[in-house]
Amino acid sequence: MGRLRRSRTHHAKRDVHRLARTRVRVKDLDQIEIDLRPGNRAKLERQEIDEEKPGLGQHYCVECAKYYETDLALRNHTKSKVHKRRLKELRDPAYTLTEAEKAAGLGQDNRQRGVEEVVKRFEGMSNDTADKEEEKKAVTA
Amino acid sequence: MRIEKCYFCSTNVYPGHGTMFVRNDAKTFRFCSSKCHKNFKMKRNPRKVRWTKAFRRANGKEMVVDTTFEFEKRRNVPVRYDRELVATTLKAMERVAEIKAKREKAFWKNRMSGNAAKNARDAALSIEKHIELVQPRTSTIKSVAGLEEKEKIREKIKVRAAGRKAMALQQIEKGSSSSKSKKKESRLIPSEGAGMGMGMNVD
Repeated sequence: MGRLRRSRTHHAKRDVHRLARTRVRVKDLDQIEIDLRPGNRAKLERQEIDEEKPGLGQHYCVECAKYYETDLALRNHTKSKVHKRRLKELRDPAYTLTEAEKAAGLGQDNRQRGVEEVVKRFEGMSNDTADKEEEKKAVTA
Repeated sequence: MRIEKCYFCSTNVYPGHGTMFVRNDAKTFRFCSSKCHKNFKMKRNPRKVRWTKAFRRANGKEMVVDTTFEFEKRRNVPVRYDRELVATTLKAMERVAEIKAKREKAFWKNRMSGNAAKNARDAALSIEKHIELVQPRTSTIKSVAGLEEKEKIREKIKVRAAGRKAMALQQIEKGSSSSKSKKKESRLIPSEGAGMGMGMNVD
């Protein structure tokens, strides 16, 4: 693997601090990944008319999580470099905390401990009762 | 109380340290330092930032598949306290750390194994390329040498460099031909020398 690109990485993003404010935060890639699931996608693309949203919420790009004013604007956007770059970013599965933990050598263990014993006990109980019934039968016979 | 991992660089975040960001869908992100927090705010992908653990693991710089990783785990289901279990776990922690360090060292050695030959080749190549810049050592020439003499010495140096390059190339070829079949898996698994088969007498 060669050197990673250090030039041409700014993409005219000049005011990084402003863009990083919480109130202008946009959806993260892992949230968009969920949106892209067929059911969610259909819902997002066919939203009800909402006066608060740009273009009444009728022209939404799911990959970029962005509303457009007109259909033409949306179509132009899907042809654009920004959109294609986003598609490329979405090709890999999104980065999650579990991956961060895995990278640190920390796995996950969700096994219910002690369940096996309880199950065994119940099975034993049912067996016991069956035995007892058999015994009773034997006695009565 | 838990020692969390940094979302960005995967280092430990001890209680009372670092920052936590809670997204509007209630997911939490912990950061060890403002550096990691800022990088997150810039929406950088940790897999592509070279100094993160995620990058190092994704690009074959560190061990990925190993039995020692099966030990340390985030247990989301509580385990009933057992004095003996705690004692054995404490003992095992030491032993596992020891084994892990050993394997990591072996992995690193294996990863760096081809570098000596490569460096030798590069040095020889740079001499060959910029032979006109090479100056004979002043001690080798008693008087101020003439141009012709200098040329002769340069010729000698060049021949020597060519020999060294050939040797290095041979070594590199040998290494690549022997490890070609290995190389495909080597990104995730260290080759035989790295002690994958070592038993772990833990339990």
